[in-house]
Amino acid sequence: MMHTLVLFPFFALIILNLPLRVIFRRLSFWVVFALSLIQIFLVFFPQNAFWGTHFNFLNTFFRFNLSADGLSMVMLLSIGIVTLTALLVARQMITDSDRMALFCSLLLIAMAGMNGAVLVRDIFSLYVFLEITAVASYIMIAFDKNIFSFEGAFKYLVLSAVATAMMITAIALVILFSGSTEFYLINYAIRASAHTSLIVLSLGLFLCGFFIKAGLIPFHSWLPDAYSSAPAPVSIFLAGIVTKTTGVYTLIRIFISIFGFNGQSQRILLLAGIISVVIGAIAAITQKDFKRMLAYSSISQVGYIILGLGCASSLGIAGAILHIFNHSVFKSLLFVNSAAVETQTGKTNMDEISGLGEKMPVTAVTSTLGALSCAGIPPLAGFWSKLLIILALWVGGLHVYAVVAILSSVLTLAYLLSIQRKLFFIKGNSEENSQIKEAGFGISLASTLLAFISLATGVFFPFIINSFIVPFGKIFGRF
Amino acid sequence: MMMEEFLILNIIFIPLIGALVLPLLARVSARLRNFCAFFFIAAPFIFSLKLIPLALAGKVIIFCKPLLFGFNFTLQADSLAVFMACVSSLVSTVIIFYSLGYISHYKNQNEYYSMVVLFLGAMMGLVFSANLIFLYLFWEITAITSWRLIGFFRQESDVFKADKSFLVTVFGALLMLLGFIMLAQQAKSFDLPIIKLALTNTPVSNTALFLILAGILSKSATLPFQTWLPDAGVAPSPVTALLHAAVLVKIGVYVFARLFGATLVLPQVLHLWVPVIAVASAIVSAGAALIETNLKRIIAYSTISQIGFIFFGLAVGNETAITGALLYILMHGIAKAGLFLCAGIVEQNAKTKDITQLGGLIKTMPVTALAFLACAFSVMGIPPFGGFFSKYLVFSGAIQSGQLWVTAAFFVGAILTILYLFRVFNMVFLGELKVSTAKEGSFTMVSSVALLGFLSLISGILVWYPLFFARFSALEMLGFVR
Repeated sequence: MMHTLVLFPFFALIILNLPLRVIFRRLSFWVVFALSLIQIFLVFFPQNAFWGTHFNFLNTFFRFNLSADGLSMVMLLSIGIVTLTALLVARQMITDSDRMALFCSLLLIAMAGMNGAVLVRDIFSLYVFLEITAVASYIMIAFDKNIFSFEGAFKYLVLSAVATAMMITAIALVILFSGSTEFYLINYAIRASAHTSLIVLSLGLFLCGFFIKAGLIPFHSWLPDAYSSAPAPVSIFLAGIVTKTTGVYTLIRIFISIFGFNGQSQRILLLAGIISVVIGAIAAITQKDFKRMLAYSSISQVGYIILGLGCASSLGIAGAILHIFNHSVFKSLLFVNSAAVETQTGKTNMDEISGLGEKMPVTAVTSTLGALSCAGIPPLAGFWSKLLIILALWVGGLHVYAVVAILSSVLTLAYLLSIQRKLFFIKGNSEENSQIKEAGFGISLASTLLAFISLATGVFFPFIINSFIVPFGKIFGRF
Repeated sequence: MMMEEFLILNIIFIPLIGALVLPLLARVSARLRNFCAFFFIAAPFIFSLKLIPLALAGKVIIFCKPLLFGFNFTLQADSLAVFMACVSSLVSTVIIFYSLGYISHYKNQNEYYSMVVLFLGAMMGLVFSANLIFLYLFWEITAITSWRLIGFFRQESDVFKADKSFLVTVFGALLMLLGFIMLAQQAKSFDLPIIKLALTNTPVSNTALFLILAGILSKSATLPFQTWLPDAGVAPSPVTALLHAAVLVKIGVYVFARLFGATLVLPQVLHLWVPVIAVASAIVSAGAALIETNLKRIIAYSTISQIGFIFFGLAVGNETAITGALLYILMHGIAKAGLFLCAGIVEQNAKTKDITQLGGLIKTMPVTALAFLACAFSVMGIPPFGGFFSKYLVFSGAIQSGQLWVTAAFFVGAILTILYLFRVFNMVFLGELKVSTAKEGSFTMVSSVALLGFLSLISGILVWYPLFFARFSALEMLGFVR
C-alpha cells in the first residue's frame, strides 16, 4: 500500500483542481494537513500492515517497485514534518485563499514527488520523481512573482537543468553496462562488470549532479539566492527537505544501494564534505541578511552529512541519516523563526533589527533551541548526530577530517550566536519596537513543535536509540 | 532500585526537570516560583548530605543503563563525587537564597531562576557522571546556562562578553571531546571504571591528554584561556558568585581530579606541566588583581589565581596535597562566593563597581564589611579561617614531594593575594565615606553573606570534619581504600 503515499497526493491534487474546485478549494489546507499527519503517524508504526501489503491491482497500473527501509522511513518522517511546518506557516503568511489553494497544490506535487523518490527502487523512476519535485519547487520559489524570486528560481532552474543532464547521461550509461534500471540488478552488474571506466564515468556524473542538487561547494551558487528570495514557507520547505531529498538522500541511496564505496569515491565525498563544512560556515559568518546566513549554514550542515557518508561505515551513515532528520527539524525551525521576524518587522538585515527577545518570546526561545541544536551543543538533537559523524571519522582513521569538522562547530556556533545576539538577546530600541508583537498562532505553533522535537530527540536520544530508532529503521544493521 | 541510586537520580533530575517547570509555576505566582527554585536547589543539597555516610563507609554506588554506541548512562557516587556535590549544592543554596533579594527588581526573572536551577542540575549530573559522553553533555549544559546568565542584563557589551565566554568554553570543550574520543578508542569504552581498568598499565597518548587539559583549563579559566572570566563579571552578582567563582570554574578542577587522579594515574607530562601552568596563572592574575579597579574584576582575577593553587595541589599528587586541594575547593567556594555576594551588595547600593569611587562603607554597611573581611581572611589563608588549612596542606604536600621552586613561586602568589585583598578592603570599606547614600542590603542578602562569612570561620575552627572527608576522598583517589 506504499503506493498510496505517492498516489494520494496526486489524486488529491486532481480532485482539488477539477471543475468543482470552487467548492473543494477551501479544503486544500486540510487535505495537505491530513496527508502529512497521516504520513508522520504511519512512520511510527513500521509493523503496520500498511508497509507490507501489496495490491496487485495497483501494480498493474503503476509499475514501479516501492520498498521502505530505515533510510526511506526517516526521509518520509522528515517530509511529513517539514510539509506540515511549511503549511502552517503558509496559512499565516498567504492571506489570499486562491493563492493558498495554489500553494497547497504545489505542496502536494512536491510531496508526491519526494515520497516517490525516497521509496522507488529503480533509477529511472527516481529521476522522474526528482524532476516532479524540482518542477514544483521552481514554481514555489517564484511564487511571489517579483524580480528577486524570479532570479532565484531561474538560477535554480538553470543549474538543476545541468544536474538533470548529468543524471540522465549517467542513467544512460548505467543502462548501457547493466541493461537494467533496478537498483539491485545494477549493483550485480557493477560487481560483475568489466566496464570499469563506464562505471566510474557514470558515478562521476551522478556525483556532480547530486552535488549541484544538494548545493555543496563549489556547486552551491544557486542555493543562497533561491533560499533567500523565496517566500518564507518555501524557504522552509526547500531548506528543510527538498534539497535534502533531491541531493543528499539520492547520494546516500546510490552509494548504499548501487555503487558501494571505494577509496576514490570516499575521498571525493570527504573532500566535498569538509570543504562545504568550512567554507559554508565562513561564508555564513560574513552575511548580514539572516536568511542568507541560514542558507550558507545549510551548505555547511549538508557538508557534515556528506562527511558522515564519506566514512563508508555503518556508524557514519547512521550519523548522516540522523543528521538529515535533525537538520530538517532545526533548519526548518530557524527558517520558521526567520519567517516570524520577517513578517513582524519587514526586515531581513540583522543590523537593522534588535531586541526582539522581549516582544517575541516564543520566537526567541525556540530559535535559541534551534541554533544550539544546529551548532551541535548538547543536550539538543544536533549534538548526537554530529557526535556520531565525528566518532565515525575518528574511528575510521580520518583524523584530520575529524579535527576540522569538530572545530568548525565553533564557527557554526559563532554565526548562530550572532543571529541570537543581534535579533533577540540585546536590549532593543523600545520606540522602534513598540509596534512589534509575537508572530501569529500558526507560526508559533510550528516553531514550538519543531523546538520540542529538537529538544526531545536530544534529551531522550540515548534512550530512544535502543527502543525506537533501531527496530523501527533497522538503520544500523543494514549496511 | 536501591535507595542510594534513587537518591542520586533525584539529586540530578529534581533540578533538571524543575528548571523546565519553573516558568510554568511563575504563571501561578512569582512567590511560588521563588520558593520552588529554592527547593529545587536545597533538595539536592540535603540528598547529597544523606550520601555522606555511605561515601565515608567506602561504598561506591554505580548506576548504569547500557545504551547503544557505548553512550551508557553511568553514574558513580564515590566519596570524591559526593564531596563535590555537597560543596557545590551548599554554595548554590546560599546563593539562591541571596538571589531572592538581589534579583527581585529586575526583568526576566523566569529565565534567571530556570537557568540557575538548570545549572545546578547539570553540575550534579556532571559530578556523578562516570561516562565521558555524559560528562561532556552536562559540561555543555553548564556552558549554555552560563551564556544566558552572563548576558542577563541585555546590554550590547554584556551579550558580546556572554558570547565570548560561550565560544571560549565551547572551543575548549570540543578539544576535550576529541581527547575523550581518543581516550575511548584506546580503552574501547566511554565508561570511566572500564577506562580505569583498561589503562592502568598502558600510557595514554600525550595528544589526548593535552586536548583534555585544554578543555579543563578553558572551563576553569586558567592561563591561556583565562580572559573570559573577568569579562563575565557583567553578570548579576549571584551569578558571578555561583558560576564564575564557586561552582562553574571548579568543574575543570573536578574533572581534572576525576580523570587524572581517580581514573588514570597522573601522567608524567602533566605532572611536569600543570604546576608550571598553574603557577603562571596564579601569579599573573594576582598581579592583574593588584592593579585592577573594578571590584568584581578584582575578585574574578583572584579566582583565577586561587584555581592555580588547586591545580597545583592536584598535580603534586600526594595524599597531603590532594587533601589540601579538595579542601581548597570547599573553602574557596564558600569564601569566594561570599566575596562576590558582598560585592553585589556594594554594587547594588552604591551604584558603582569602581573601587576608587568607594570608601568608608564599613560605617553604613557593617555586616557586609565584616562578612567580606571574614571571607577575605579565608581566601588569604589566615588562621583560624578555613582557607588557611587548605593552603597549608597544599604547600606542605608540595614540599614533601620536593617541588621547592614551584612552591616558592606559589608563596609569592599567596603574598600577592593578601596584598590585593587588603587593598580592596581598604579602598571599599575603610577611609572616608564617599557614597553617603549607600545603605545595607536587604535581609536575605545580608544574612546570606553573614552566613558565608560565618562558614568561612567555622569551617576553619571545626576543620576536622571537612578535612576527614577530603582526606578520605584523597585516599580513595590514590587507591588506598579498597
